[in-house]
Amino acid sequence: MWKMIVSELTQAMQELAASFAHLLPRIIVVVIMALVGWVVAYLLKVILGSILRLIQFDKLSENAGASQLLTKAALPSATNLLCRFVFWVAWLGFILLGVQALGIVGLQEQIAKFFLFLPRLFVALLIMFFGLLLATFLSRATLLAAVNANFPSPRLLSVSVRTLIIIFVLSMAFEEVGVAEETVLMAFGIAFGALMLGLAIAFGTGGKELAQQFLEKRFGQGKKDEGKEDELSPL
Amino acid sequence: MPLKQDEPWYKHAIIYQAHVRTFYDSNGDGIGDFRGLDEKLDYLVDLGINAIWLMPFFPSPLRDDGYDIADYYSVHPSYGILEDFKKFLVSAHEREIRVIIEMVLNHTSDQHPWFQESRSSQDNPRRDWYVWSNTDTRYPLAHINFVDTEMSNWAWDTVSKSYYWHRFFSHQPDLNYDNPAVREEMWSVMKFWLELGVDGFRLDAVPYLVEREGTNCENLPETHAVIKELRRKLDEHFPGKMLLAEANQWPAELRPYFADGNEFHMAFHFPLMPRMFMGVKLEDRKPITDILRQTPEIPASCQWCLFLRNHDELTLEMLTNVERDYMNDSYAQDKAMRLNLGIRRRLAPLLEKDRRRIELMNGMLMSLPGTPSIYYGDEIGMGDNINLGDRNGVRTPMQWSGGWNGGFSAAEPEKLYAPLIQDPVYGYPAVNVLSQKRTQHSLLNWMGRLIAVRKTTGAFGSGSIEFLYPGNQRILAYVRQLGEEKILVVNNLSNAAQAVELDLRRYKGNILIEMFGQNIFPRAGEQPYLLTLGPYQFYWFRLRRI
Amino acid sequence: MAEESFLTDDFLGQLISVGEVDLMVGVPTYNNAKTIGSIVETIQAGILTFFPRERAVIINADGGSRDGTRQLVNAAIGGAQSSSKLYALRTLRSISTEYASSPARGTALRTILAAAELLRAKACAVISPESTLITTDWLAALLRPVYAETFDLVLPTYRRHRFDGILLTNLLYPMTRAVYGLRIREPYALDFAFSGRLGSQFLAQNAWHEEAARAGSEIQFTLAAIAGEFRICQSFLGTKEHVERHSADLVPALRQTVGALFSSLEPNLSVWSGKTGSQAILTTGAEQEFTLQPLRINRKRLRGMFSTGVAELESVFQSILSSSTLAELQRIAGMDETNFCYSAELWVKTVYEFAAAYHKSVINRDHIIQALAPLFRGRAFTFLMENRNGSAANVEENIEALCLEFERMKPYLLKLWNGSE
Repeated sequence: MWKMIVSELTQAMQELAASFAHLLPRIIVVVIMALVGWVVAYLLKVILGSILRLIQFDKLSENAGASQLLTKAALPSATNLLCRFVFWVAWLGFILLGVQALGIVGLQEQIAKFFLFLPRLFVALLIMFFGLLLATFLSRATLLAAVNANFPSPRLLSVSVRTLIIIFVLSMAFEEVGVAEETVLMAFGIAFGALMLGLAIAFGTGGKELAQQFLEKRFGQGKKDEGKEDELSPL
Repeated sequence: MPLKQDEPWYKHAIIYQAHVRTFYDSNGDGIGDFRGLDEKLDYLVDLGINAIWLMPFFPSPLRDDGYDIADYYSVHPSYGILEDFKKFLVSAHEREIRVIIEMVLNHTSDQHPWFQESRSSQDNPRRDWYVWSNTDTRYPLAHINFVDTEMSNWAWDTVSKSYYWHRFFSHQPDLNYDNPAVREEMWSVMKFWLELGVDGFRLDAVPYLVEREGTNCENLPETHAVIKELRRKLDEHFPGKMLLAEANQWPAELRPYFADGNEFHMAFHFPLMPRMFMGVKLEDRKPITDILRQTPEIPASCQWCLFLRNHDELTLEMLTNVERDYMNDSYAQDKAMRLNLGIRRRLAPLLEKDRRRIELMNGMLMSLPGTPSIYYGDEIGMGDNINLGDRNGVRTPMQWSGGWNGGFSAAEPEKLYAPLIQDPVYGYPAVNVLSQKRTQHSLLNWMGRLIAVRKTTGAFGSGSIEFLYPGNQRILAYVRQLGEEKILVVNNLSNAAQAVELDLRRYKGNILIEMFGQNIFPRAGEQPYLLTLGPYQFYWFRLRRI
Repeated sequence: MAEESFLTDDFLGQLISVGEVDLMVGVPTYNNAKTIGSIVETIQAGILTFFPRERAVIINADGGSRDGTRQLVNAAIGGAQSSSKLYALRTLRSISTEYASSPARGTALRTILAAAELLRAKACAVISPESTLITTDWLAALLRPVYAETFDLVLPTYRRHRFDGILLTNLLYPMTRAVYGLRIREPYALDFAFSGRLGSQFLAQNAWHEEAARAGSEIQFTLAAIAGEFRICQSFLGTKEHVERHSADLVPALRQTVGALFSSLEPNLSVWSGKTGSQAILTTGAEQEFTLQPLRINRKRLRGMFSTGVAELESVFQSILSSSTLAELQRIAGMDETNFCYSAELWVKTVYEFAAAYHKSVINRDHIIQALAPLFRGRAFTFLMENRNGSAANVEENIEALCLEFERMKPYLLKLWNGSE
């Protein structure tokens, strides 16, 4: 009996050794890929970093208002963040490539999916970034215009504009990434629709005078608001 | 020569204005004479002249260059005898050159026997032949013509102890045309010369014939009546003869002198002349087109007489003050050049001896509506001498050659009636007929060619005029038309090359034929017709539809 | 060249027919049918009265008027010339072109400059189509210094209401004076004259592609003359008409003037950074005249918009102003009307900080300009209160004091300009 156990064990060990020996080159490949990946990813990070610093990406993101967000979240600067992100993605990508070489069937599909997913993730991030930029710009523009036109509650208007755009952008980003597409779309649709309807009612009933003023200024020529205007000419 | 035979001769005349005294001296006394003039008639024929206008050659004390006449029936002895004149007349007619003489109706010399009699006493039969007054306050509205020398239109006569009326020099008393005897006598004078064979009269100073209180004594209806009467007699007894008016007036006031074709045949277009000079200086056609637009229509048998210069100063009377100042500043910076509201310079000096400008001005003279008159010497570009006083600077001897006395006279130079122009630029060695005849492209030969081309069509003499107004105001363009014949004239009034687009849609389909070289130019069409002209260049195009 | 094709064939043809001129008068228009006829007639009368012998042309650069402005321009010339009241020695030309189907002042000016260069005009005047109080003397006052003397730029001075043009008297004039060292009362002039030399130089500058340049070309022109060290003088014209303006016009006005001024600082740094103090320039006639008729002003509104602006735009101001300035503004925003005072020093600091922020583009530049509007209103309010009972001389003194404050604090601007963010 002991002999049987020993021979079984020996056989198992032999099989293990064989499969291990079989696997070893592949593992070595993985390790090599990981190392190479690390180097490449690092290079990418450095290059990207230089490019971003050259185009003053930080400044841009400051304008977008992204920087403030990042600071609040105790995250490093936008450039840094992006570089690190690229580094990790690149390295991970290489490692996964290596793992693919192992030939584990189920894993291959998932890896493929991962790689397919990456571009979409990137696009989504881009959408969010530029959307944020746009939101900041438009909200500030609205604020200034409202203040200079003496509209009531300009800040409210500004924040509304900003929120709207962010919601819109987020929805687009989620849709792009493919997370809970239908839900998000519906939620967005409902929220947006409701908001618009609410605004219309508010404007139509409560802001009648404002509407009148606005229309007159746009389409009526020469009729001045007697009590409110003065005769000053700045130039 | 394709001239209409039923058209009056003066519509196609090329008039040459000369003074017998200045032209050619045949007997070596230093003064030109009729025999001399006779000898030089072939020169005029070569040039293309077919009418000569002679300045006064009557006996005269010559205090106004012969316009102060002492005897209407004779010839001044310096110029010859009456026989010489008759011979000259025959020679001229043989060469188909018509002769126009001066007839000074308005006034005589104070040396004339008529005036001597008139002043002698109040009862003299000829007393009323002149305009006498006890005071000098009558006719105060009449202006003074010779502002540089006269202070008043009245002069005190020491003999008859009263004032006499004179619109010109004080030694030229005005005849009284309210007196029928005067009118009769002046007709007799004219009849005398008509019977000898002269072809026409230039009636000097016609606006001033009659005076009336409360008027400016110019262009009065009574004056017109006098002329009409003369004309009636002329037509009755001497058909085909011509009366030319010297009336320095605005176009509207000139019009009555043509009446209904029963007064003057021709009149000088005084207002146009300075404006041609102005247009070239301003480089703008506006002065020329404005005045011609204001010029009224005249009867079909009548004709304007155009000129660039004459024996008088270039008169600036028919200009506004702004225009006159501009002309003085442009053409007579030296105040010595100015006389009596005018400029006493010849054509070439006025145009700074610029050959191109001289050609342009002559081109306009020959192509604008009217009969052209060329002042003697301007065809060779003679200069002037303003130091000779009054208007004598433009009446110097004709320069025939570079030799003794410029070929004018065999006399001693000191004996000449006036000194020759001698400076290196305009003097007779530089500017003379002989040299220019020997030079193919001299001004003289060019003038001959110009006149020859003008004579190839009747449109210039008798045709209508229609101005084109291209956007470029430096271009003066017009179309002369007579029947089916159409001539397009384009003048560049500026010193720089110009491009102009002409609207020739009315003449669509016509080929343009340049009249000097006979070359064809592109056809007129719907599109604006682009022409480019060099400085002061002009084109004459015959429009031909084939 | 694509750039040069803004001159239409038809306009070019008209220029060819006009030929060389001595004088040019340019009138940019857009829907000015109400005023343009009499203005053109006056221009024409001025030329014929004061420059009868000169070759002259009137150029109308129209931005696509739909109310018949161009036809009125041509009719005005034709009509006046045929009336016998005015004698013309030579043809006075007038040509009109539509440079675009929508108006742009810069392109209008560019058209006039191009025409002036092609026709080799020695002197060119530009007259605003809203200058209804123009007299024939304006032509002499503007053109003579260029044509007969050797000045390159003639800027106008006017008789105006003391409260007209507060932007001019409280910002444009003092700042231009302090920065560029020349006491130019109207750096943003709509009626001015220039020499062919200056016009050609400005035309050659590649400044036509920027939006700012297109909008604020008048001030660019003045600044180009200063930078190029051309000879500049001022000429008193007369009364400037008071144009009714809507309060919504303030921001566009700021864009065209203040925006252009701020934009000019960077490329011309070498010109202005070394200058201290300011020099007077030769002025014919009065330097400025004030009329004192009462004017209806809504003071409460001005004050209100200032306070609202300071409150609502805090986040924007944080990017632009220094913390001390912002704090000071917030402090005075809280004051009541009688005590409210937007002092000269504070205003100068505000303006300079804005200029520096504009230079660094801390946020979108157009937003910076818009943000200035409510602050300007506050300053206007203070100016009105200070001068409501004063004489014309008092007003002038106060403006002079403000100018000196701008000059005194110029080093502060330089510090901001060069300093770290």
